[in-house]
Amino acid sequence: MTVAGTLAEVADLGRMQRDRWTKLQTAMVEQAVDALVLLGNSNVSYATGESWPLADPGQANVERPVAVVISEDDWPHLFTSFPEAAERDLGLPESHLHGPMYLEFDESAEAFGRVLSELVPEDGRIAIDELPGSLRRTCELFFWNSTPASADDVIGACKLVKTPDELRLLRTVLHMTEQAIAPVQAALVPGTRQTELTARFLRAAFELGAQANILDAIWQVMPARLADGPWTTHAGVACPLLTTERELRQGDVLWVDTGISYAGFASDFGRTWVVGTEPTARQQAQFRAWREILDAVLAVTRAGATGADLTGAARAASGGGQRPWMEHFYLGHGLGVESAEAPFIGTDLGDAYDERQVLAAGMVLVLEPLVWDEGAAGYRAEEVIAITDDGYIPLTDYPYDPYGD
Amino acid sequence: MATEVLADDRALREARRRRALAAMEAHDIDALLLGREANARYVAGAQRLWTAGSRPFGPGCVFVRATGAIHLVSTWDEGIPDDIPHEHLFGITWNPGKLLAWLTSIEGLDQAGRIGTDSLTPRFATLLSKFFPSADLVDAEPALEAARRIKTREEVDAIRASISVAETALEAARSELAPGVSERHLAAVFMEAMARQGVTTPAIQRVAWISSAPRGQGPDAARVAQCGDLVVLEAAVMAAGYSGEVGRTWPVGQNSVDVATKDLYGRADDLRRHLLDACRPGASCAGLLAAYEDGGHPLPPFPIASGLGLGFDVPVVTRQLPNTAAQERLEPGMALTVSAYVAGQDGRGILHKEAVLVTPDGPEVLTSAPYWST
Repeated sequence: MTVAGTLAEVADLGRMQRDRWTKLQTAMVEQAVDALVLLGNSNVSYATGESWPLADPGQANVERPVAVVISEDDWPHLFTSFPEAAERDLGLPESHLHGPMYLEFDESAEAFGRVLSELVPEDGRIAIDELPGSLRRTCELFFWNSTPASADDVIGACKLVKTPDELRLLRTVLHMTEQAIAPVQAALVPGTRQTELTARFLRAAFELGAQANILDAIWQVMPARLADGPWTTHAGVACPLLTTERELRQGDVLWVDTGISYAGFASDFGRTWVVGTEPTARQQAQFRAWREILDAVLAVTRAGATGADLTGAARAASGGGQRPWMEHFYLGHGLGVESAEAPFIGTDLGDAYDERQVLAAGMVLVLEPLVWDEGAAGYRAEEVIAITDDGYIPLTDYPYDPYGD
Repeated sequence: MATEVLADDRALREARRRRALAAMEAHDIDALLLGREANARYVAGAQRLWTAGSRPFGPGCVFVRATGAIHLVSTWDEGIPDDIPHEHLFGITWNPGKLLAWLTSIEGLDQAGRIGTDSLTPRFATLLSKFFPSADLVDAEPALEAARRIKTREEVDAIRASISVAETALEAARSELAPGVSERHLAAVFMEAMARQGVTTPAIQRVAWISSAPRGQGPDAARVAQCGDLVVLEAAVMAAGYSGEVGRTWPVGQNSVDVATKDLYGRADDLRRHLLDACRPGASCAGLLAAYEDGGHPLPPFPIASGLGLGFDVPVVTRQLPNTAAQERLEPGMALTVSAYVAGQDGRGILHKEAVLVTPDGPEVLTSAPYWST
């Protein structure tokens, strides 16, 4: 028996997939879906437990595993180039393993339609996550006169709350990321190029067993004033801006944001660093203000709190009506099989949406408030927590150096 | 050395946009709503954030044929070409209502009779039909594939530059080959060497695999190569948006190479030459499949050829798509990677992956990484 919001001592992948399967089957009944057709990498990973080194999005559209989940079945169907590996590593029976599909092409999409028409009961309601043109054409031939349901609604309901095994794996990938970032920070000196930081980070992350780099690592040099940065649609902070071979200088303020994947889980890391020197008193004050906002948010964070409780606490702590986070993002987001997934808190979906987001034990939040101090840049970091019945537990313990005591 | 985030060069952008416009005309598409970054980059020439893995459709780039204007989802103007004015940028949003309101405000889009998308989700299929009731929503991928399959001169230059980065990083990994080396160490060295050349985005991330070990994709414990193992190194990077790929297989501990291994290398070389011969202008892609069959080599479970470009370019040649291959003709200006894979009875395999440009005079091999030889 496991308790929501706790971490398993050791991740049990078999138990994790059985728990996911129960949730998927329940959600399919609730949403009256008879078959889920999954093309998206993270959705396939969630439904089958398969994980692989993710490719560039263009490549990922061509060569990708596909999963089909049938209501009241015992296993997912997996279409893959390596069925023997899936049988061995995931324990899927031969009856549910199929050769790869190249659904960008009509030839493959038609073959897929034929298989699907045998798997899905007649008049069965299908939900799908993506509809490339070739699959739309095929499915009009085989199934639908109207648009199918959205598989993201089914998967989204399932993955919102993490099981203890999922939390353990998330902690593992988060720690791997922190272990990889530590030597990068230790070697940060004026004259280093942004791309060299990426080189060091990727070297360390892959040595530790990362399966993939999932985000072109950000080491953004923040301007002192907004006017010194790029034009933006909202006249606020532009971030994340891309990494180049720019040489870092003494005193540069860096906003760091990276992520890797391991065992189908995404990590997220965010901190502010100063190059080659200690933060000034003004910069330390920015950090204290950031810490106060974070602490105020954490103080109201527990199962049953709404997203609006968190955004309200952040606003109050920042001393007014200002929203102390990036206007084009959020105060917080979930983390799991994707580097940003539900719940989203503080987006432009508005306050009423945030009020409807009720936290539950086992949800994961990446909290990313920021403090902007016009004339002296600002401070931003990301704190990853799991929600519990009476509060939260941190999933990371990376220091805030060089800020703080 | 790039120390600023720059939009793609004007000559590259204009040549691509001309091809995109011609394809829209040929396919009778009035406007494109693009979610795939490769397509968005093709028409817009903007550099946006790279992430790994497939992404669901969301219209982040709009190209209206009547106005010739490009509209982009971007909160800032860094990396955006100067021919896309601020008024045509729309900040990142999580709110579909705001996104649809923006789309309906775009000049000329409401008059478009045929709107092409490069994929869809059930949600966007419903929303777009509702907000553009008089437009037909059509699949734009065939038009975009037609535009992108022939590379402009500027694109070929970009592919060459990308291959050069991949080959240098491959050589860094190869120089680490020795008994006891792990797959993850080779990947780590590759990634570091790639980034040290100023390119921080890989195209594929399974860099090294010991071909004799059972194939797995998951987070295996670090697999270690022993003397006599054959290690496949697949180098693929995205430099300035373009993929560069090369693959080589090297034995670990050269003194241990036996007659069977030498024979396997001979067969791989034979297959590679036959595959390159099949890359002639006018030839059908079925010739690539035939190169395997004629030589008695079983087809591998992955594509033996795929287009090089911004990501997912045609052709894709695999044993699962024989009819597609038969219908696809190679033309001058197409760039592709071609994979020669042979396996011995002991399960050890050799993969050699070459980048090829189809020219009027025949195939030009763009890759030049060294092969193992006795």
